[in-house]
Amino acid sequence: MANEEMEMEFERPGAALANRPLHFFWLVDCSGSMFGEKIATVNNAIQSCIKPMQDAAENNPNAHLFIRTLKFATGANWVSSNPIPVEQFVWDDLAAGGVTDMGKAFELLAAQLTIPPMSDRALPPVIVLLSDGQPTDNYKKNLDKLLHLPWGKKAVRIAISIGKDVDDDVLLEFTGNREYVLQANNAEDLTKMIKWASTVASVVSAPGSQEPISQQADDTSMAGDNNTGGAYDMGNIPQPSAGVVW
Amino acid sequence: MDGELKKGTLLTSENGNKYMVDSLLGEGGQGAVYDVVMEGKHVALKWYHKDKATSDQRKILDNLIEKGAPDEHFLWPEDLVIAENGKRFGYIMPIRPKEYKNPVALMKGMINPSFLTLCKVAYNVTLEYQKLHKLGYCYSDISFGNLFFDPKTGDVLICDNDNVSVNGLYASQVLGTPRFMAPEIVIGQAKPSRNTDLYSLAVLIFYMFIVNHPLEGAQEASIKCMDIHAMRLIYGENPIFIFDPDNKTNRPVPGYQDNANIYWDIFPQNVKDLFTISFTTGLKDPRQRVTENTWLEIFANMITGIIRCPSCKHEIFYDTSKEELGVAHTCWHCSATAKVPVKMVIGRKVIVLNKDSKIYAKHTIGNSDMTTITGEVSINPNNPSMWGIKNLTQDNWTYIQEDGSQILVPPQRSALIKANAKIDFGVEIAEFK
Repeated sequence: MANEEMEMEFERPGAALANRPLHFFWLVDCSGSMFGEKIATVNNAIQSCIKPMQDAAENNPNAHLFIRTLKFATGANWVSSNPIPVEQFVWDDLAAGGVTDMGKAFELLAAQLTIPPMSDRALPPVIVLLSDGQPTDNYKKNLDKLLHLPWGKKAVRIAISIGKDVDDDVLLEFTGNREYVLQANNAEDLTKMIKWASTVASVVSAPGSQEPISQQADDTSMAGDNNTGGAYDMGNIPQPSAGVVW
Repeated sequence: MDGELKKGTLLTSENGNKYMVDSLLGEGGQGAVYDVVMEGKHVALKWYHKDKATSDQRKILDNLIEKGAPDEHFLWPEDLVIAENGKRFGYIMPIRPKEYKNPVALMKGMINPSFLTLCKVAYNVTLEYQKLHKLGYCYSDISFGNLFFDPKTGDVLICDNDNVSVNGLYASQVLGTPRFMAPEIVIGQAKPSRNTDLYSLAVLIFYMFIVNHPLEGAQEASIKCMDIHAMRLIYGENPIFIFDPDNKTNRPVPGYQDNANIYWDIFPQNVKDLFTISFTTGLKDPRQRVTENTWLEIFANMITGIIRCPSCKHEIFYDTSKEELGVAHTCWHCSATAKVPVKMVIGRKVIVLNKDSKIYAKHTIGNSDMTTITGEVSINPNNPSMWGIKNLTQDNWTYIQEDGSQILVPPQRSALIKANAKIDFGVEIAEFK
């Protein structure tokens, strides 16, 4: 017996599950030394991470992921003026040229991690800094300011150190945790590190199945108590390959 | 990711079967899942990341493959595939049909199943986990990610069964998923077990019914940065049920956690009582958690306890406690009052008799089958005011009138719905009330 009532759709009340924003920042060094293969690799690697990030976000009802890109060379600029929801995010290829005003980038980032524009309730922001050199400006004051902001302090901060000319101490100051300074010695490493960094958003927002600590492959202790990120089980932090150096 | 399998790669299993990699279906923390083909048939391969391909995991899989699936609702490991160098491995399982959706789709409002369907999902998923527990296993990681259901029928599939382990012999690689892990696991005092499964199951069902986490109320709302420390507090160190009758400090916050208040009022008191036990006494004492049989009895009555609003036709749950207290059933959508129809009562099983109501094998032969329809409400073609129960089984039923006289109800015939009359199904006897 056909039954019209059974086949009609009656909406349940209520809305989607309440979620929190998660702000993800790519901070990309676009100085002259990044020209050529390096920036091309970065462009390709980040672009290829978008789809997996979108897929992961789709499976996560507890977070709404927003992505923004900040480039720095001579000066620093936001690539988009507003946070872009991951489902709408597209990568605009970056070009390299100029000096390394990393401090300027920290200043712009700090302005965005202040409340407002940051909301009261959120998941820890994730900041991924990619650099192949040393700051040419006086970065210290701006980094200090960033790290003293509540959301700056809470942010999971990762640095990808490209090649051998990097001042890793600056990157360490930024991450507050040696484990989160990833060394990329070649294009393959760089792609691997970027891909891994892109998955940190899902670890932070909806940590997947957690494994017992004792069974982790690398049971290195997490340094840097001032860094929220230190408490997460990131698993699988990629290791650089030995060999070719740029 | 390192070691991705390329399309066309040929892999050989322990049993000598050859699988050809077709496409990547998805990636997770433990590994990637591929669509692979064997003799023209598509199946799924879960291929572990290098550091997850442990000998412990392999032992678990060998055991699961040997024992076989509890039933066809589990996408169970069927065959073990090992890389040529012997270092990586994965397992074969049935592929999931596309129409099955994850609770995440429900949480995001991308699908809108009826309350009836959700009750069927709750019933079916509880039944499946009960089957697992009856075999001495625990699942260890009940959460959004491993349940899929058909939004039309409420049929369920349980996937990611590679963490299933023997209860009490903790060997699994997982502790569970945050927000679903029992508090004693969150604070590091316990490992996954049957009792922690019961907690995760209660969270999962609460999420599906209420679209809010049972512990996310004022406490969660007061936290600015939801980092791992905050999560440990809410789900582990200081968990408080948002509707704890004795502790009102963690009520849902209007404007932020509205779903909780909207849905909670719609559900019948007996299921709310079970949630309350689960997230008050059961929160602290794993032995006092609600067991599957108790849930199943309530979910079965919810499936057969839906009244249609006489005005807007939305679904209203019949609530025994309202009837006992003489409180009207009002529609949550249009506020119209709904009259409770005649009910069929079999022990503690209650079926509200609407014109589209069904009865199931559970009612007529007393098993746990709430899928096989054994009877339905039918309208007398000669007198539309006379409703009956049509016998959809192969067996004769006996209709017992109020005066005790008996009439045979052969298959395909209907017996009149009348207060105080009874139907003897052979095993169970139902009374109209």
